[in-house]
Amino acid sequence: MILRLSWLLLAATVRAASLSLQSPRFTISASDATQLRSDTLSLTKKPEPLTLGATDTLKLTFQITDNDEGKGVQPHQTFLRFYDKVSGEEGIQPVRVTPGGKAKFELNMARPPTSIPPTTQNPLEVSLILGSFVHAPAKYDLFDIYLPASQTPAEHPDEASFHVLPTIEHTFRPEQKLPPQFISAVFAAAVLSPWVVLIGLWGKVGVRVPHLFSPSIVPFTVLLGGFEVLLVWYWVDLKLGQVLLYGGMLAIPTVFAGKQALYTTGEWRAGQK
Amino acid sequence: MRLLSSAFVALLAFARLSFAASSSGDSVLVLLDTSLDRENYSIFFGGLEKRGYSLTFRAPKDASPAITDYDVPNFDHVIFFSPEAKSYAQDITPQSLVGLLSEKTNLLIALSPKQTPLTSLATEFSLILPPPETPLISHHPARSERPTTIPVAVSSSSPLLTPGIPPVWFSGAPHALGNNPMLVPILRAPAESFAADSTDDTGADGIVDATEKGGEGLWAGSQMGLVTGFQTNVNSRVVFAGGIDLFSDEYARKELPSGTPSGNSQFARDIATWVFQETLTLRIDSVEHHRVNQTEAPEMYTTNDEIVYTAHISSYDSRTSTWKPYSGIGDLQLEFTMLDPHIRTSLPPVPGSPGTYQVQFRAPDRHGVFKFILNWKRKGYSYLSSSTTVPVVPPRHDGYPRFLSAAWPYYTGAISTSAGFFLFAALWLAGDVKGERKKVSKAE
Repeated sequence: MILRLSWLLLAATVRAASLSLQSPRFTISASDATQLRSDTLSLTKKPEPLTLGATDTLKLTFQITDNDEGKGVQPHQTFLRFYDKVSGEEGIQPVRVTPGGKAKFELNMARPPTSIPPTTQNPLEVSLILGSFVHAPAKYDLFDIYLPASQTPAEHPDEASFHVLPTIEHTFRPEQKLPPQFISAVFAAAVLSPWVVLIGLWGKVGVRVPHLFSPSIVPFTVLLGGFEVLLVWYWVDLKLGQVLLYGGMLAIPTVFAGKQALYTTGEWRAGQK
Repeated sequence: MRLLSSAFVALLAFARLSFAASSSGDSVLVLLDTSLDRENYSIFFGGLEKRGYSLTFRAPKDASPAITDYDVPNFDHVIFFSPEAKSYAQDITPQSLVGLLSEKTNLLIALSPKQTPLTSLATEFSLILPPPETPLISHHPARSERPTTIPVAVSSSSPLLTPGIPPVWFSGAPHALGNNPMLVPILRAPAESFAADSTDDTGADGIVDATEKGGEGLWAGSQMGLVTGFQTNVNSRVVFAGGIDLFSDEYARKELPSGTPSGNSQFARDIATWVFQETLTLRIDSVEHHRVNQTEAPEMYTTNDEIVYTAHISSYDSRTSTWKPYSGIGDLQLEFTMLDPHIRTSLPPVPGSPGTYQVQFRAPDRHGVFKFILNWKRKGYSYLSSSTTVPVVPPRHDGYPRFLSAAWPYYTGAISTSAGFFLFAALWLAGDVKGERKKVSKAE
């Protein structure tokens, strides 16, 4: 294991001719060629985040050299990577490098290249990726940049069904409003007022009911009461079919009781007369 | 002795039969290129056989065993390890493979930088492949292998991979992903990688020219996929892997530049268990609906009824080959729909009752024919969908509220009339019969 590791180290040192970045410099200029900001980039510390307006241009120049010999080389891969850490969108832009190692990149926001990813309010992290078949690779974090927000990328029509959809609540018709119960009670009492009058007058006149519990009319009275009970029961609970059935059952004895009662009453009247 | 040994053999066979790891069958057809050796993939195939799959091998140009016989699939799963085959036998065309997926057969397909009929199949699944003969290259990290053999870190965000897989070795072609939500990204390319056909530094200009020429641009960066899955509407799964070396023994045994073993064998096993419907496989066992305080589903509901809807969901447990109740879905939703959803509520799991999800809600004011719609789709998991049609009628003539306080005067009036009639009849029959005596007046 250690022997294998030492071979790897040897191989690494043999290929140690690595690429390095010399004199990176950026310039932001407005559409009328006035310079807004210009600075060199330090490889150890990122500068303040850059901001690019909708008509500004960013120019980036640098040179790639061989670490050992110090002369310019053209590596196989010189890519600028624009990465939005929050949304995860990424864009890779290759930069053309001359055989002498000099590179220039221009980003004109009036005509942005297609490799810029969709942007939001968050900054893009810009880094430079260098790779070569003969040199060791290198990666440098250059700067953060705020670009104007772009349109969001087009979504597939089915995309919404793969996420939680908004809750829908049904608005019901409001409960019907009733007048206050006190009013209803007052008018119910008003409905009962004729009974007050009746009881009062009866008190004055006097009610004589000598035959109230006579056995020939009590059956009819009771059955008539039964009909009233059936009526109240229908109001509370029963269905029409049941009411008709019970009513029919009650009607038969009532007919006979009624005939009996009327005959008896007739006898009394005839007898009295 | 013979009885014992034959019983033992029968028991062994029975044990083998009952241990089927996949929920949709265990017969696998492997299309292996004639130039590839089966022994180079022994770890992958051996792992499949140990989990109970029966593998049948066949060359791409062989006519038998055929994939389908008269539109009936012969195998439950098909593996395409023929990345360089330019022509297949008659039964394999992109159309027949799509037909296989409609018949719920799962596919595992290994692509390559070469242009094959499988490339045109991949395009049908919203994968955008680079130009032919442009394999994936990465100069990072510095390593002694060729630039086309790349260690790729496995992100933990995909639900079908076990967490903590070490980086895997990859060589092959990348693909860009379309925006179809049925795609399940499994492995993404490293940010420093790109697809190119150059073999030395003089190819740098070619790369920049290809980008500036327009069209698709450069296949580069971490937005590219290397292994991507797709789940169809009928829940069959297909995985496109950018290269076949991912599954080889050589890469499984190779050490990463940091010295630790690679994650290829675990990664290949995870892909296989997902494609063959072992993991993340769910189904709805049954749904019920009824009014509150009842148990039977009525023939029809009335508007403003309180309705209780219950769904029973289970997931497949490949270790015991059974479906077990599953309460892990936190965002299930129920829609009560008549042309448009009138109600959409969340359907939470019932604590204490595994696999049961229940919600109670009030039927809308509208009458009509409604549907209980359960439609849950998430990347990587089986799609759950269920639709139950139920009529909702307005209240019957005696279904409205009764005995309202506003009607008290009318109730008292009617009862008063009845009482008055009864009293009059009783008193008239019972009254004194003294000639011209005036009788009691009728009560009103």
